[in-house]
Amino acid sequence: MFSASTGRKLRRLNLTWHRDLGYFFSSLIIIYCISGLALNHLDDWDPDFIIHRKTVQFPANLSVSQVTDDKVAEFSKLVEESHFKIYDFPTDNQVKIYYDNASLHVNLETGTGQYEKIVKRHLFYEANVLHRNSLAGWKWVSDIFAIMLIVISVTGLFILRGKYGFRRRGAWFMLAGLLLPVVAVWLFYYTS
Amino acid sequence: MTHGPYLFFCRKYHILLMQPAHNPVSFLFVLMISSVLFSCNPGNRETESESNDRKIGVLLVNHGSRSEAWRNSLLDLEKNVRDSILQGGEIKDVKTAFMEYTEPSIATRLKEFDREGYSDVILVPVFLTVSSHSFDDIPTLIGQKDDPQSIESFKIEKMERYTPQAKVHITPLLDFTDILKKNILRRYTEVSKDAANEGLVLIAYGDKTYNTEWTRLMQNVGDYVKEHTAVTDYDFGWCGHIAHYNPDSTTLPVSQVLKKKKEAVVIPVLVAFDEMFQGRIIPNGIKKIPSSKEKVIYRPDAILPDRNVEEWVIRTSLDFSNNIVHPKTAKAK
Repeated sequence: MFSASTGRKLRRLNLTWHRDLGYFFSSLIIIYCISGLALNHLDDWDPDFIIHRKTVQFPANLSVSQVTDDKVAEFSKLVEESHFKIYDFPTDNQVKIYYDNASLHVNLETGTGQYEKIVKRHLFYEANVLHRNSLAGWKWVSDIFAIMLIVISVTGLFILRGKYGFRRRGAWFMLAGLLLPVVAVWLFYYTS
Repeated sequence: MTHGPYLFFCRKYHILLMQPAHNPVSFLFVLMISSVLFSCNPGNRETESESNDRKIGVLLVNHGSRSEAWRNSLLDLEKNVRDSILQGGEIKDVKTAFMEYTEPSIATRLKEFDREGYSDVILVPVFLTVSSHSFDDIPTLIGQKDDPQSIESFKIEKMERYTPQAKVHITPLLDFTDILKKNILRRYTEVSKDAANEGLVLIAYGDKTYNTEWTRLMQNVGDYVKEHTAVTDYDFGWCGHIAHYNPDSTTLPVSQVLKKKKEAVVIPVLVAFDEMFQGRIIPNGIKKIPSSKEKVIYRPDAILPDRNVEEWVIRTSLDFSNNIVHPKTAKAK
């Protein structure tokens, strides 16, 4: 199809593209993989935040009218918060107090308070921000990255020749890899 | 210092506003008090004049969805209430905002109200009962609260926070009324074939933090249907985030009801139709029941459209605007 010299040039170009794109996108690939692992288990953990929870017991049988600024300050001291921002009543037997990066939700009938402090899960949080396109304009970088991943994959197929090249060993491995999503989709349509 | 007592006051106060119609004596008393107040105190004329300078808008806020059908139901709600709300002349415009997923967002709408010189915005949350969305997210989005979890999730979800120049008045939620009970009863009787041999299954979104309130709401609705029909058994389940959107949470209450009854009638307690919930999660849960086609009656409908919900939106908006324009009269009530 091509002359020998054109073939050599194309292979060299293929190798160069694969190598340099691979180097360039390696960090982003790893970041997306870490985030992918984190987001894959959304039901099992919060991949963005660590929420420190503490249950605190306050006097029971308080009414909404008894919850004054002083009372709220008193509650706050018990959870080691020096000042609160605001408080509000979700129902007629509950009060929620807001702090910087924390909140305290008290059931006035039982006196049970749930204190929650939110802390970023650094590294995962930042990786997820990128992976979920939470940054304005990042979706264009993501699109380019996705296209480049295709280029890296396709150029990778044609690096080696001979026994370990795509035409012999490579094709079988590629087909085996393709089988996994094909079976999964088949299961999705015919068993669910 | 806090908005909390104010918000709570509004919620409670709404109930007071609703009562005079049922109690003519107190209503007359209120009229007498307000007429005395207005005739004796010249300061009130000033207040009245200031009140007349106000420009009031209504913002119907709903959860938002990627489903176009869902969004259209909420836009239809706006269309159906618009003329009645604007008729009185005190409210100048009605808009709809979607809290998540799509535009127009709450921030977009509030910016529009600000640009158009509105002094007050009555925010009507079209939500069933208390949840993190209604209690934390909406007030945080409009700058009335700083809930740390909401703020962080807004950054991730690219939801804009905007504190408007207009004063925002948040109205109570749907569960303050009997509308939901009547809605479910109507929808149940429309599909029921033999109430004595049927059990009722209610599937709602649910909320982890306010699970007690959601449970109580479902029990109230279920009891109401029991009182007004021959149904003797009901159960309920969640289909939202609390249940990880898992169809099994529908399967479980249906199978519980079928232990006692020949058939189960599944009613989605969801504001509008969404392909993901009424079209996939709930039917997939039903499919897991053996002989579900014979044993389960299911119509993938929603609370909307409902004339009572429309009337509730109209009444709530007009009550709040009346309170803004005539604060002294309303407080005397």
